[in-house]
Amino acid sequence: MMKEVMAVIRMNMMNKTKVALSEAGFTSFTATGRVLGRGKGLVDYRVIKGAEEGRPEALAQLGEGPRMIAKRIITLVVPEEKTKLAVDTIIGVNQTGMPGDGKVFVLPVLDSTRIRTGESGAKVL
Amino acid sequence: MAQILVRSIVRPEKAHEVIEALLEAGYPAVTRVSVAGRGRQQGLQVGEVTYDELPKEMLMTVIPEGEKDLVLRTVMGSARTGESGNYGDGKIFVSPVEQVYTISSGFLEE
Repeated sequence: MMKEVMAVIRMNMMNKTKVALSEAGFTSFTATGRVLGRGKGLVDYRVIKGAEEGRPEALAQLGEGPRMIAKRIITLVVPEEKTKLAVDTIIGVNQTGMPGDGKVFVLPVLDSTRIRTGESGAKVL
Repeated sequence: MAQILVRSIVRPEKAHEVIEALLEAGYPAVTRVSVAGRGRQQGLQVGEVTYDELPKEMLMTVIPEGEKDLVLRTVMGSARTGESGNYGDGKIFVSPVEQVYTISSGFLEE
């Protein structure tokens, strides 16, 4: 069986994540460009900081909903037994401990096929 | 409870409305991706020209399985155009999610 590991990460963490993944043996993955997202946090901390300093543009934003923040998504399909390693690698390199580090989702994959040869199954990963 | 990934492909001009509707319904967490694609009508035919890479926005949100109906109703209600909807309003795909980790804490969410 195969699993898809989909991680939403900070924009500036992409290079570090690429290096960490290839060092852990995950050479192949797909990444998106800039995507916009928001999480559970209903607070943008820069706005709070700005409001504490009394900046009018920050005060004007208080009371609105959460802002959409730029992120990037990396997707890799891995054999089931390597799922834990992939998730731990991504978390290890992306964790700053602050809200906004992102999420990692693990999804089932039914099959994968190599387009060049047409062969399918876990051996193509 | 098991989590599911809801991927809604909606009109770009409706994306903001859907995001606001999801927030009001209690789902603040959304990721938005600009995509291009065609649907069952094979794109748009205008005279001789066929447009088969129509711009859309894909909204991804991971929710508990039991709240699927509410989320689908919210997305459909806000993404549909006109009374009965039109071609090109988009599709919603639902897939299972086996594990969810929050990177900042490293915890596996239950």
